Amino acid sequence: MLRTTLAGLRAHMGRLATTVLAIVLGVAFTTGTLVFTDTLERSFATQVMGSMERVDVIAFPPEPDAGTDPEAGPPSFGTAALEEVRGLSEVTAATGVVFGTAPLLDSDGRTLGAFPTAGTSVGGDVARYEAAEGRLPEGDDEVALSTLSAEQGGFTVGDTVSVLDPGGEPHDFTVTGLIEFGLEQSVSYRGAVAFAFGTAERMVEGDGFAEIHVRAAEGVPVERAVTAVAGVLDEAADVRSGQEHGESLASAAGADAAIMGTALLLFAAVSVFVSALVIHNTFAILVAQRQREMALLRCVGALRGQVFRGMLLEALVVGLAASALGTAVGVGLGLGGFALGSEYVVSGTDTPIEPVVEAVPVLAGLLVGTLVTLVSALVPALRATRVAPLDALRSSAVADGLEKGVGRARVAVGAALFLASGAVLALTLSTEAGTTGMALVVASAMVCFVGVLAVSPLLVRGTVRVLGWPLRRLGAVGSLAVDNTLRSPKRAATAMIALTVGATLITGYSVISSSMRVTMDAQLAEQFPVDYSISPQLSPDGEEAPIPDSVAAELESSPLISSVFTSRSASDENQVFVETYPGAELGTDIGNGEVEGDIGDVGAGSAAVGAGTATELGVGLGDRVELESAEGRVSLTVVAIVPGSGGLSGVTTSVTDFESLFPEVGAGYLYVRAQDGTDLKELTEVVDDAVADHPTLQVASAAEIRSEFDRVLETMFLVISGMLGLAILIAVFGISNTMALSVLERRRESALLRALGLSKARLRRMLGAEAVLVSLVGAILGVALGTLFGWAAGRSAFDGMLFALPAVEIAGFLAAAVVAGLLAALMPARRAARTSITGALASE
Amino acid sequence: MHQTSASVRTDPPQEPPAVVVRALTKVYSSGGSSVRALDGVDVEFARGAFTAIMGPSGSGKSTLMHCMAGLDTATSGSVRLGRTDLTTLTDKQLTLLRRDRIGFVFQSFNLLPMLTAEQNILLPAQIARRRVDPERLAHVVGVVGLDDRLDHLPSRLSGGQQQRVAVARALLGSPEVVYADEPTGNLDSRTGAEILAFLRDSARTMEQTVVMVTHDPVAASYADRVVFLRDGRLVDDLAAPTAQTVLDRLVGLEA
Ligand SMILES: Nc1ncnc2c1ncn2[C@@H]1O[C@H](COP(=O)(O)OP(=O)(O)OP(=O)(O)O)[C@@H](O)[C@H]1O
Ligand SMILES: [Mg+2]
Repeated sequence: MLRTTLAGLRAHMGRLATTVLAIVLGVAFTTGTLVFTDTLERSFATQVMGSMERVDVIAFPPEPDAGTDPEAGPPSFGTAALEEVRGLSEVTAATGVVFGTAPLLDSDGRTLGAFPTAGTSVGGDVARYEAAEGRLPEGDDEVALSTLSAEQGGFTVGDTVSVLDPGGEPHDFTVTGLIEFGLEQSVSYRGAVAFAFGTAERMVEGDGFAEIHVRAAEGVPVERAVTAVAGVLDEAADVRSGQEHGESLASAAGADAAIMGTALLLFAAVSVFVSALVIHNTFAILVAQRQREMALLRCVGALRGQVFRGMLLEALVVGLAASALGTAVGVGLGLGGFALGSEYVVSGTDTPIEPVVEAVPVLAGLLVGTLVTLVSALVPALRATRVAPLDALRSSAVADGLEKGVGRARVAVGAALFLASGAVLALTLSTEAGTTGMALVVASAMVCFVGVLAVSPLLVRGTVRVLGWPLRRLGAVGSLAVDNTLRSPKRAATAMIALTVGATLITGYSVISSSMRVTMDAQLAEQFPVDYSISPQLSPDGEEAPIPDSVAAELESSPLISSVFTSRSASDENQVFVETYPGAELGTDIGNGEVEGDIGDVGAGSAAVGAGTATELGVGLGDRVELESAEGRVSLTVVAIVPGSGGLSGVTTSVTDFESLFPEVGAGYLYVRAQDGTDLKELTEVVDDAVADHPTLQVASAAEIRSEFDRVLETMFLVISGMLGLAILIAVFGISNTMALSVLERRRESALLRALGLSKARLRRMLGAEAVLVSLVGAILGVALGTLFGWAAGRSAFDGMLFALPAVEIAGFLAAAVVAGLLAALMPARRAARTSITGALASE
Repeated sequence: MHQTSASVRTDPPQEPPAVVVRALTKVYSSGGSSVRALDGVDVEFARGAFTAIMGPSGSGKSTLMHCMAGLDTATSGSVRLGRTDLTTLTDKQLTLLRRDRIGFVFQSFNLLPMLTAEQNILLPAQIARRRVDPERLAHVVGVVGLDDRLDHLPSRLSGGQQQRVAVARALLGSPEVVYADEPTGNLDSRTGAEILAFLRDSARTMEQTVVMVTHDPVAASYADRVVFLRDGRLVDDLAAPTAQTVLDRLVGLEA
C-alpha cells in the first residue's frame, strides 16, 4: 500500500503544489512569529544586561511609606551615604546618580512631549551608560540626549538645545552624544537629557541620588560587595547586584515581547485555520477525482482500512514535507523580520542581533502543519473509503463533479447555530457596554461562523444566483462561469470560506474603527465644541502645575475668541469622577445631545451624570447622587444624563458644589472657543501668543486631536490588514488551487468548448469570471458578517456608539476580491487555454 | 461504381465540393521518433453528402478529421473549406471558423454536464452571440426527437439521448460541414442506428454536409460514400456502400 501511495503522490504532486504552498505559509507564519519573539526577547535581554555589565552593585533608596508626606519629593540617598559606600574596602568606586525632571524644549521653544523629559547625571567613576553616538557630556554647557528624545525633537550630535532649569528658565547646551537608555522604565516613555554630574545637580530638580552605582574591589565577590553596601545604607534600601537588576529588567521586557508574540500568534492561528480550509478542500477534490482509482484498488482487493490509511499516509507525507519547508521558511522569516523590524521595536540597533532558534518554534511548526493536514484530510479520506467499488467504476465522466443538494442535517445544524448566535447577540445588545459584552459578541460571531460553514453551499448557491444574473447577460462566458460555480457549491463554498475569514476580520475592524471615529467626532463636536485646549504638561508624579490665570485673561481679551473656560476635576472618596467647568455656559459651551434632561439646568445642588457613571451608581434622572471628599459632602439632584463617551463621563457639578468638595483643585484644562467664522490661522497666532511665556503648557487644537486619533486608527488598520494579508493570500492560493484542480478535471469540457469555437481568450475569461465569482461571494459574505459583528462589538464596547459603514474601505475590499479572483485564475486559466484540443479530446 | 482511384471526382462539376484536401501530411515527432499519421492525403467531400471515413486503428482517421476541422494543424498540404484555406489561418481565425462554419459530434463527452439539453444545443449560438430562429430550433429538436427532454441535465439522459443532443447541436447552426468522430461508438446498435438515420436524413433533407469517422461497416453503410485510409494514405473510395461491400473492402485492406 505504501508503494501505491507514494506512486500516487508522485503522480499528483503538481496538483498538491498550491496545497503545499498553503501549508508552508501557515506554518511559516507560526514558526516565524515564535522565532521572532524569542529573538526579540533575547535581544532585549542582551541590551539590558549590556548596560548592567559595567555596574557590580546598584542601590536604590527605600520606597516611601504610604504614610509619608507626598510633598517630600522622591526618595534619595544623601552625600553622606555615598561617601560611606566609597569608604568600604570592598568597593573600588561608587557614583551617585542624580535623577529628576529636566524639560527639553523643541525647536519652537515648547516643551517636548506630553511628559517633561527626565534629567539625569551620567559618567563618573562607575558609568552605567555609554554614548551610543558621540560622547558623554563633560562640560557645563554639554548635554547628551536619549535616542528617543533626539528622535522626537529631531536633534543630532552638535545641535544646540534648550533645557528648562528647576526655576523654569531655559539654558542652552550643545549635544555631545546620544545615549541608549534601553528599557529603563523611568526613561523609556518620556526620554531623557543627560548632564555631567555638576551640571545635573544644577539643572535637575530634587536633591540627593536616585541610584548609587558601585564597582567592587579587585577580587571581591559581588555578593560580598552587595552585603557590604547594604550594611552601610538605610536598611530599607534596595541593594542588588547589577546582574540581578539586569535580569529583572530583562524579564519585564520579556513579558512585553511575550504580549507581542501572543498578538502575532493570534494572526498566525487565523492563517493556520485558513490553510486548514484550503488543505481540506484540496484533499476533498483529489479524492473526488480519484474515486475511480480507489475503486479500482478496492476491486483488486484493497480493504477499506487500507484505502483509508493510504489517504492518511499521503496527507502525512505531504503535511510533514510542507511543514518542514514551512518551518525553514518561518525561521528565515522570523530572523529576517527581526533584522528589518528590530529598529522599531528595540531601539539601539548597535546591539548585535543574536538569532535565536530554539526547538519549540521548529517543533511547533512541524506539529501544527502536520496535524492540520492530517485533520483536514480525515473527512475526505473517510469519504474515499465509503466509495462502493462498482459505483465508482461505473460512474460516467459526465456525472463527475456534479453535486446538488445540501443535506438536511447541514441546514438543521446551520439553523440551530444561527439561532444560538442570534440569541447570544440579542443578549449582548441588551446588556451593558463592557468587556463581557465584547467577549459575548466574539462568541456569537464564532458560533455564527460555524453556522455559515455548515450552510455555506446554500449561501454560495443563493449569492451566485444573484450575482450571476447580471453576469449571464454578458453572454456565454458569463453564463458558463456561473454554471460552473454552481455545479459544485461545496467546493466553491470551501474555497470562498477561506477568504471569508479574512474579509470578516478586516471588515469588522474597519466598521469598529470608522464607527469609533464618527462617534468621537460627533460627541466631541456636540459636547465639547471647543477649538483649542490648553493643559499643563503632565508630570510623572501626578502633580501638575495649574494653568496661570494670566493665560485665560489674555485669551479672553482677544476679539476672536467667544469664550474661555476651564475645567477642574477630581475623584471623590468613592472614586467617582467629579468635574466642573468654571466660566462655561453649560449647554452651550459644553454638553449637548443629552440622553435625558438638560445640562443647562445644572446649578448649585444639581448635577449632570455620564451614562456609564449613572448605571454604575444606579441613579437616574431626578435621583440624588451623594459625593464625599475629605473636605465635605454634597447631595445633588441629577438633572441630566449625558452620553459617556463625549468627554463628560463623570458627574458634572456647579463650581460651588465642586469647591465645597475640592477647594484646592485648580484648573486642569483651559478651553478656547472662537467666534464663528474665525480664520484658523489668526486664532492659532492668538493662542500661541498667550502661551508664549509658558513653554510647558500643552496646546492642542480640536483638528489636531481628531487627526491624531485618525492617525492612530489608520496605523492600526494598516498593521491589522498586513497581518491578515497573509491569511488572505493563503485563501487566494486556495481558490487558485480549486480552480487548477477543476480545470484539470474539466480538460475535456474545455476542449469541447474550444472545438465549438470558444476562443482561448474567452476560455481564460470564463475561468477568470468563475474565480472572481467565488472570491466575490467570499468577500461579500465576509463583509456582511464583519459589518454585523463589527457593529455589535462596537455597540457592546462603547455606550452611544454611532454606526458608520466604512463604504470606501468595503468598496476597496470588494475590488481587492475581484483582483484576487483574477490572480487566482491566472495560472489555471493559462494552463487551460494552452492545453491542446485534440490531446484533451483523446484523453479519458 | 467500383472505383479504386483515390482522386476520382464523385460530385457534379457545377457544384464545388464543401471540403477539399490536398497532399495533406501530418507528422507527429516526439523526441527522436516521428510518426507519419497522414502521408499525402488528397480527398474532396461533396456538398450535401454524407461521407464515412474508415480504416484500421491508427490509420489516421481522427488526425485527418482534426486537420479538416481546424482542431489541429497539418505539417504540409492544404485543407480548404469552401473558399477558405485552413492552413493559412491563425489560431484565432480557426476558432472563429469552427464556431461559425463547422459542427461537431464526438464519440463521448459531447455535452457540458452543468447545462441542460436545450442549453447544450444552444451553446454554439450563445458562444457566437447568434440569434437562434425558434422555428429552426423546434424543427431540429423535433427531428432528433428530444422535445420532452430539453430541460434535463446530461446526467439524466441515456447515452443515445446524449448523442441526439450533440447531433441537434451540430445541426442547429446549419454549418458548412458536420464532423462526427465515431458518434455511435459507445451506443448499442439500435440506438446507433437512430443517430445514423438522423445524420443521413439531415444530409438529405437539409442539404447538410456530414463527414463521419467509424469502425463499423453497418454505420458506414448509412453514408453516401466511404473513403478508406491505411497508414495515413487514402487507399480506397466506395460510393453507395452497403454493410457487405464495406466489409469486403475492409477485409481486402487488412490483408
Ligand atoms: N498526439 C500524437 N502524438 C504522436 N502520435 C500520434 C498522436 N496522435 C496520433 N498519433 C499517431 O498517429 C497515428 C494516427 O492516429 P489517429 O488517432 O489518427 O488514428 P485513428 O485512425 O483515429 O485510430 P483509431 O481508429 O484507433 O481511433 C497513430 O499511429 C497514432 O499513434
Ligand atoms: Mg480515432
